[in-house]
Amino acid sequence: MTRGNPFHTRTSTKTRKVSKWGDRTFLVLTGIGAAGVVGVLVAVGVVLYYGALPLINRDGLSFLTNRIWDPENNVYGILPFAAGTLITSAVALLISVPLSIGAALFLTQHAPQWLREPIAQVVQMLAAIPSVIFGFWGLIVIVPVMASTVNPALAHYLGWTGLFGGPTDIGTNILTASIVLAIMTVPTITALSKDSIMAVPRTQTEAAISLGATDWEVSRRAILPYARGGIVAGVVLGLGRALGETMAVTLVIGNSNGVPNSFIAPGQTIASLIANDFFESFYALERPALVYAALVLLVITLAVNVLARFLLARFQRGMGAKVE
Amino acid sequence: MSGTSESTNTNTSAGDQVVRRKGSSRTGAYIVVGVVVVVVIILLAGYFAAGWFKPSSTSTSNNGTCTAPTPATISGAGSTLVAPLMTAWALSYTASTVNYASVGSGAGISDITSKTVDFGASDAPLSPSQRAAIPSPGVLTIPESIGAAVPIYNLPSVATTLKFTGQVLAGIYMQAPGYTNWNNSALQAINPGVTLPNANIVVVHRSDGSGTTFAFSSFLALSNATWASVYGHATTINWPTSEIGSKGNSGVTGTVKSTQYAIGYVDINYALTESVAFGAVKNPAGNYIVANITNIASAVKDASATFPASSGDWYNFTVENSPGAQDYPISTFTYLFVYSDLGVAYGSSMPLTTAENLVNLLLWMVGDNSGQGQTFAAGLYYVPLSPAAATFDTSAIESITYNGAAITHCVQS
Repeated sequence: MTRGNPFHTRTSTKTRKVSKWGDRTFLVLTGIGAAGVVGVLVAVGVVLYYGALPLINRDGLSFLTNRIWDPENNVYGILPFAAGTLITSAVALLISVPLSIGAALFLTQHAPQWLREPIAQVVQMLAAIPSVIFGFWGLIVIVPVMASTVNPALAHYLGWTGLFGGPTDIGTNILTASIVLAIMTVPTITALSKDSIMAVPRTQTEAAISLGATDWEVSRRAILPYARGGIVAGVVLGLGRALGETMAVTLVIGNSNGVPNSFIAPGQTIASLIANDFFESFYALERPALVYAALVLLVITLAVNVLARFLLARFQRGMGAKVE
Repeated sequence: MSGTSESTNTNTSAGDQVVRRKGSSRTGAYIVVGVVVVVVIILLAGYFAAGWFKPSSTSTSNNGTCTAPTPATISGAGSTLVAPLMTAWALSYTASTVNYASVGSGAGISDITSKTVDFGASDAPLSPSQRAAIPSPGVLTIPESIGAAVPIYNLPSVATTLKFTGQVLAGIYMQAPGYTNWNNSALQAINPGVTLPNANIVVVHRSDGSGTTFAFSSFLALSNATWASVYGHATTINWPTSEIGSKGNSGVTGTVKSTQYAIGYVDINYALTESVAFGAVKNPAGNYIVANITNIASAVKDASATFPASSGDWYNFTVENSPGAQDYPISTFTYLFVYSDLGVAYGSSMPLTTAENLVNLLLWMVGDNSGQGQTFAAGLYYVPLSPAAATFDTSAIESITYNGAAITHCVQS
């Protein structure tokens, strides 16, 4: 404790010894905590690798490009499910990010004071709802609406893109899963964006206003660039949740094991595949295949995280204080 | 996120920095109360779930002419299809403590292979490669219950029971051209006089591995050569991608009930307990049969003559398409696997007493004296074993040895 703090007066030697041991214990305990976190991640990777080894030895990387998942005939390929995972997460973010940033801006800039806290509380409560309830709600409310109204409308107006083909009466499809995932990621992104926007110094906003900026220009030019770090962090967290979401997705995605060729066709994600097939996995290589799928999902999640951090670092250049 | 902490950092301008909690002095009391609550919860959970502190159950009545062995704990794992029946058995059987883990057929087979359980339960028999993986002395296959798959559908405009054949069902599930619309000619031909709607058939199957899928796909394979060569019969099928998968029998039932123009297949006990329309299926005798406990039981009874040896290969054994006039054609056994010599298989981890407990339990499960296992089946909408199957099972179970010597039986009645 003798680091040049001018207000500190040293007391007896006995106190110094006690502090040193206390410090050391603190260091060791927190070090164990940090090492433990890293260790768990490494352990997960190692366990998954060894569980998948029989199939890695047989198929190697062709598992990643194979389109067929047929345990009965000993053929395993992850491409449909990796595609399903990435597509549903991407569409979910496409829907939820504008909504969330808009909600955060509304809460911080435009909402009257008496409305701010209740809405913020409701958004946080939305984050606490278990995912299986979102799945049930999606199944009961969204799926029929998709089958009866939304699918035919999309096929009619956007069919020229070639992305909305196929039968329109199936409500459990990629788009429904994306919508449910979007609703689940909104609270995370909104909360982090709100915190990040509130951390923008008042001086920025006031300066922009004094230069004659409109509300939208203030948000776009003065606030959002400053808050980019926190917003990206929120988006990354939301994306992580979307990539790994299992129960909500498995109830509304249709569980069809093919590469999706249309947004309104049923599909499947890696997490949902594992949840469905793991227990009754009957064939010799089926369980190693599912573990390999889990390993692929882990790699995808880590890769997305690394990419997001890289983008975040680039955005931070020249901007103000880093918001972790 | 945002939370206000109770502590304050009082930075005095001289002397050491002091951090003092602004909280009340009742913190200690809160901690004590919290610990007491947690301990009480743990003790209650232990009492109700694990039977702590309960006086040990006294041995129940037996045939009167034999003495039951000291109670032991028997563990089994596997099929989720028979889980309700297993739970009822575990609760009613008092001569031993029975633990059944409903982890799925695949896990049940791998557990018995690695000898972590005393018996395994599966909806499908062992495949040749799974049998090869089982260490010596090998397991006996014991059919202990019967499942059946029925076709369910959601057609609000059709009031009568629809008739199906295996060929039509195969065409629908293969999404073959000419079978994708409800008013297709093949279906209309076997349902004359019924106005079928002009709508796409929404095909629903199981997204998870299942014995019901095994039964249904076996029937389709028997009915249609293309299905047999392309899709085969298994607990997981590589279905056409335009179909929907739902998890569990309850998932398929729910999806079909809430999706107009949907068709699916579920186990008989779901079809009987849920209010969903299910169809009649044509049997080899030419009759369209609506499944119930009686006609499934008669189908199994008529097929019992062709059982393989209990220690043999059951993978191609089927009770489907049995010849009786009123037999329901889509039925399957569910199987228990137990080692043929318990002493050789488990060594010292299974003492003779436990082996006796296991054998008595198995005999009780397949027995149909009042209070024994098979009498629970009908109430839970499972089909009880036929007398021939029960006899087969009994002799198979009685052939289980312990280090070469026969095991004394004393079955709870």
